[in-house]
Amino acid sequence: MVLRDLTRVRLTNLDKILYPAAGITKADVLTYYVRAAPRLLPFLHNRPLTMHRFPDGAGGPGFFEKDAPAGTPDWVETFTRRAETAGRDVRYVLCNNLDTLIWLGNLASLEIHTALAAAPAYETPDLLLFDIDPEPPLTFDDVVSVAHIVHGQLENRGLRPYVKTSGKKGVHIVVPLVPGLSFSRVRDFAHGIGKAIARDTPQVVSEFPHSREPGTIFIDYLQNSHGKTMVAPWSLRATPLATVSVPVRWDELKKGVCPEVFNIKTVLSRHEDPWSDIFHDRQKIT
Amino acid sequence: MTGRKSPESPPPAKQASHGKRSPVTKPASMVKTEHLPAGGEEHGAQPGRAFWSGSITIGLVNVPVRLHTMVRDRSFAFRLLHRDDGQPLKYDRVCSRDGKVVPWSETVKGYEIRKGEFLVFEPDELKAILPESDRKIRIDKFVYYLSLDPVYFDSSFILVPDRSEEAYGLLLAALQDLGRAAAGTITLRTKEYPAIVHVYDGALVLTTLRHADEVIPPHAFSILPELPVPKAAELALAKKIVTDLSGDFSINDYPDRYREAVLALVHKKLAGENIVYEEPHPGQAKELMQALQETIATLAKK
Repeated sequence: MVLRDLTRVRLTNLDKILYPAAGITKADVLTYYVRAAPRLLPFLHNRPLTMHRFPDGAGGPGFFEKDAPAGTPDWVETFTRRAETAGRDVRYVLCNNLDTLIWLGNLASLEIHTALAAAPAYETPDLLLFDIDPEPPLTFDDVVSVAHIVHGQLENRGLRPYVKTSGKKGVHIVVPLVPGLSFSRVRDFAHGIGKAIARDTPQVVSEFPHSREPGTIFIDYLQNSHGKTMVAPWSLRATPLATVSVPVRWDELKKGVCPEVFNIKTVLSRHEDPWSDIFHDRQKIT
Repeated sequence: MTGRKSPESPPPAKQASHGKRSPVTKPASMVKTEHLPAGGEEHGAQPGRAFWSGSITIGLVNVPVRLHTMVRDRSFAFRLLHRDDGQPLKYDRVCSRDGKVVPWSETVKGYEIRKGEFLVFEPDELKAILPESDRKIRIDKFVYYLSLDPVYFDSSFILVPDRSEEAYGLLLAALQDLGRAAAGTITLRTKEYPAIVHVYDGALVLTTLRHADEVIPPHAFSILPELPVPKAAELALAKKIVTDLSGDFSINDYPDRYREAVLALVHKKLAGENIVYEEPHPGQAKELMQALQETIATLAKK
């Protein structure tokens, strides 16, 4: 048995170092994604992707790629839609099988970002996203307390939100939606939650112009827009330690948790995936 | 799958005489061919990314532009393989004294002044004399395009307006009406080039030029200035032949026959012969293979 009997992807440069600080090679990255595939693929199904490629590794310059690149194999599924931001048709990659995931890894797409809507109903989001990031000197601990406030607000409205680390300094809170609402409707809802929290919580800001002020946490509702993306759960990040954006239970999200402990070497040993049934728990916002 | 004898077959490779087949061959029926162009038929050129942006500068006037590749090298590349196991060869920098591989960090540049004698240059010393790239195509003057000698033409690039459609269009129209090209300089990466900006098929094109000392003048050959003067009758006949064979030039009359022949050979080989494949090192791929086997099994259960 050889590699090419197991995948249609012609793998290249397997011993290239993609995370220099941690000495992680492309073979390691591919091994990670292959092992994460049973948890990652159900989430990625039919969700237009944005690749964040790092041909020179995590330390080098990366670039975002929405369009299926030249040489995309014909077994990679794609979805073409006009992107208003680009003013033209974009042929998005859909990662609907293991080989496509391996192919993405082989392109050094260390990070996999997805739209908040799935094809073909690409104009109606099926995820509501709160992207919560701290501005220094605030830290992950502060993010944790704000995340729980958002959790409380959503529960008060009868919703069951899910949370994951962003793989960097923040967290992503999502509510899986019954599709049908417009992006602007979902965005207004998220903005309303942010405004309500900002009224009572000093360091929280709900408006974009204040989002970079030191010592604040912005509850970013603007990601709930056509063409915007979220890094996928179980995606690697291009950080020195090869951190992972990992789904966590709400009771795991405590002060003192260091998001760097969730990385390429550790997360696969987590036996549960709090997000595994996320698309069987679609909810309605009012 | 054994080599069929046909007039097109290459001479039998040495591996055949070892009495064993290369471990990395694969029946052609399993070979994927979608990345290969069909014999001769190929897609049109796609515009690539801009690799330089700056301005055409004429005195105080700037026309912001982006530079795109215009010329592609389509020559056919083979890789050199180890005949015994079909693995691609790689190149190493080897010290000529002890034959040992030298890492990049231990290298330095030398300029050979006499055979075996070098002046050593540290990176900083060479960096200091690099021309500054100021992102400008500096135009000194305008010249009749047809007065330029193509032997100096080096490489051509398409100039695309960078939110400067009006100024770009104006320059294009002026050059076109006057039959002129703009002459000046551009710094690309680490080298300054003489260059012209000229009109080509509705676009401005930048063509870098070779420096004067890069082109050998024909009068270096002493036989040329001493050619005999042709006789009138012979000249008249020669001119008649030339006139009779005159026509319009089309580059499409001259396909790349070698490339077509190699591609045809590739397709022929794919249809009937073993193809040598690159195989990752076993150690490198071991964990990945195990992960693949386990994941494929897990996904199959779902």
